[in-house]
Amino acid sequence: MIILRRLFPLLLTLVMAMSPLTAMAATVTDVSREVICQCGCNSVLDSCTHAECHSRETMLNFIEQSMAQGKTGTEITQMLVRQYGEQVLASPPKRGFNLTAWIAPFAAIFIGAGVIYYALRKWARHGEASLPVSAPAEQEGGKYWQQLENDLQDFTERGFR
Amino acid sequence: MTVIGNIALFLAFPSAIYSAFAYIYGTKKKHAALVESARHALLAVTGLVSVAAVALLYALVTHDFQLEYVSSYTNLDLSLSYRLAAFWAGNAGSLMFWALLLGIFAAVFVLQKRRVGKELTPYAASVIMLTEAFFLLILLFVSPPFHKLPFVPADGRGLNPMLENPGMFFHPPLLLAGYVGFTIPFAVAIAALVTRRLSDEWITMVRRWTLLTWIFLTIGNLLGAWWAYVELGWGGYWAWDPVENASFMPWLVATAFLHSIMMQRRRGILRVWNIVLIVLTFNLAILGTFLTRSGVLSSVHAFAESPILGMLFLVFIGISLFAGLGLLYLRMEDLKSEAEIESLVSRESTFLINNLLLVGAAFTIFLGTFFPVISEAVRGVKVTVGPPFFNQVNAPIFLAIILLAGICTLIGWRQASTRNLVRNFLGPFIAALGLGVALFIFGVREWYALIVFTVCGFVIATILYEWFRGTRARNRIRNENYLKAFFNLIRTNRPRYGGYIVHLAVILIAVGIAGSSIYNVEKEVDILPSESFTINDYTLTYENIDYYETESKTVVATTLSVANHGGTLGKLIPEKYFHQNYEQSVTEVAIRSTVLEDLYVILVGWDNTGMTSFKVIVNPLVKWIWLGGILLVFGALVAFWPEKEKQPAAVRKAAGRK
Repeated sequence: MIILRRLFPLLLTLVMAMSPLTAMAATVTDVSREVICQCGCNSVLDSCTHAECHSRETMLNFIEQSMAQGKTGTEITQMLVRQYGEQVLASPPKRGFNLTAWIAPFAAIFIGAGVIYYALRKWARHGEASLPVSAPAEQEGGKYWQQLENDLQDFTERGFR
Repeated sequence: MTVIGNIALFLAFPSAIYSAFAYIYGTKKKHAALVESARHALLAVTGLVSVAAVALLYALVTHDFQLEYVSSYTNLDLSLSYRLAAFWAGNAGSLMFWALLLGIFAAVFVLQKRRVGKELTPYAASVIMLTEAFFLLILLFVSPPFHKLPFVPADGRGLNPMLENPGMFFHPPLLLAGYVGFTIPFAVAIAALVTRRLSDEWITMVRRWTLLTWIFLTIGNLLGAWWAYVELGWGGYWAWDPVENASFMPWLVATAFLHSIMMQRRRGILRVWNIVLIVLTFNLAILGTFLTRSGVLSSVHAFAESPILGMLFLVFIGISLFAGLGLLYLRMEDLKSEAEIESLVSRESTFLINNLLLVGAAFTIFLGTFFPVISEAVRGVKVTVGPPFFNQVNAPIFLAIILLAGICTLIGWRQASTRNLVRNFLGPFIAALGLGVALFIFGVREWYALIVFTVCGFVIATILYEWFRGTRARNRIRNENYLKAFFNLIRTNRPRYGGYIVHLAVILIAVGIAGSSIYNVEKEVDILPSESFTINDYTLTYENIDYYETESKTVVATTLSVANHGGTLGKLIPEKYFHQNYEQSVTEVAIRSTVLEDLYVILVGWDNTGMTSFKVIVNPLVKWIWLGGILLVFGALVAFWPEKEKQPAAVRKAAGRK
């Protein structure tokens, strides 16, 4: 739990650093890549080229006019959310419950990395314990030379592995 | 013929059930005749499902419109080739194709001559037949392909025009083969758990099956991306649609599995993990089938919203997950291994991290795909999880996976000393750094583009260096000339060097994706005939608009001439089709493709004054994705090609070789 508590601010910073383009949006294209066309085609507005999608024109005109009025990308997307609801956004906003979607993948990978580190250390300790302190002199001419010979043979037959 | 098809399905179901139970009972009681009869029943299932498939194909070819399936997906205008492809165009047909493929795979599996794993075959065949029985049950009672209408329509509704593309002949069947094929390794893993034969035997049995299935799924996915690019007309190749995600998740977990089984074969570790991975892969493959049919998530690939069908698939997934993981829990003691490694810095560690990241990426996609459902259940608010989410979250994960592919190539097994690390990585590191600096000097200023291309350069350098070292060693030891040494190097260890070819291909694809997503330029213009506009170095002149009728559709075709500084480059003809039997218009994009970039023109709309809207996109490096795809399949085939069987590490160790 302590690790998770310490990890959370780090993950939050990481996720927030992946800001959507709207924060610094300057073009209609940038904003239209952050919202979904509302005709039911489920395409990102920028990708929708369906002649039948009337909402496409409406939404693009709205974005263009808002930009002409000096509105920022963030302000425009907020207005679209007020009009169509949260589902107009192409990705869930990074706040509240939605943060779960943004943080959980990285949290899972960090926890997985911790488990791997723990397992590797355990296996490495096993490895150290089973290594002979020094190769017994009488075996040098036997088992180890045999292994070396086998490995060399393996190498010449099949190259690096 | 339809009666014959129906009878074949009705006979196939009890045969599959009989085969499944006779295999288990006969093996348990050591009743050889019963096992042999189970085998015959399995082969009979394959034969019966094939007969049913032929009956459906016959109905499609002969316009038997009384069959609901035939009238729903074909019409009199449809060409023979698309009538045949309509076999997998709809829900019932595609489920039938599932059953047919599984029947064929099952027959190949039991007819295969094998030196290892004979004891596992009956149990695995039993699991395969239970899966087959599930699909037959659906075909008989939920989605019958031979369901007859009470009347005979004069003509059918026809195929969705978007499916009338060469991609239709390859994308769906290969993708389905990619899903179905994972049944075999899953069944073998269950057999290994049941029989407690949990050494390397089952891994040896499933490696090539998994690889073959992975190849099918890879080609299926790549063809899907290509098809979306040339047919859907939005300028992209991957939309993170729920069903695209559903085909990508098993691919990622299967990729992790193909890497982690190497660890079990070489070092005897990850035995539990490998079982978990194959159980997950199989269930994720079924999940794709569930998503297209349940109506849980909206998708361009959805067949029909059938709650019963969705529920049945959910129950099946639940049972196979419970059986797989439950058996794993019961056999935990048998799977314990005295795992040991020599160092934290070794190829073993990079393989483990690679597995973590691949499964992590699959988890991210799973979470993103189902988050709209989760959000609605928890908050009561519908949200959309689209490309911005998947791109932002997955980009760092995939970059780390690519970087690991480079590190993994040159880091030693067991223990990598500092000297080993410096000696192996200094050259590739300098080469990658040089590439980064060169790109910066030539004007690449976006930090993420610089990172991606430098990492890709590093991985290519490691692979080339590894090949060079191997070739030089053969040249010195065996006195082979460099060319012969290079080919012999690959020939004598195909799994390894095939894998490196796959890694190179992944780099090509990554460069293509990075180039086309970071540097694409798009423009939407409204112009009159004879007017021109420019995008990057291209000047496009709108020449004319033309309307004409064909038997089944009205075509609106526009012609644009394209020129750049070097002169005229030719004409592009973006079109829109209005099919008589289909509400939505179909966009036919015009693409001028080169190795450096694609000029992609979409006809958006027009009015009576002649004013026409075009969307034009310059997509750099897209061709690298398709070329990378071809190389990837080639590399995977090199790795798949049978080689002289080697004894697993544990056996060699026991024999005193290690």
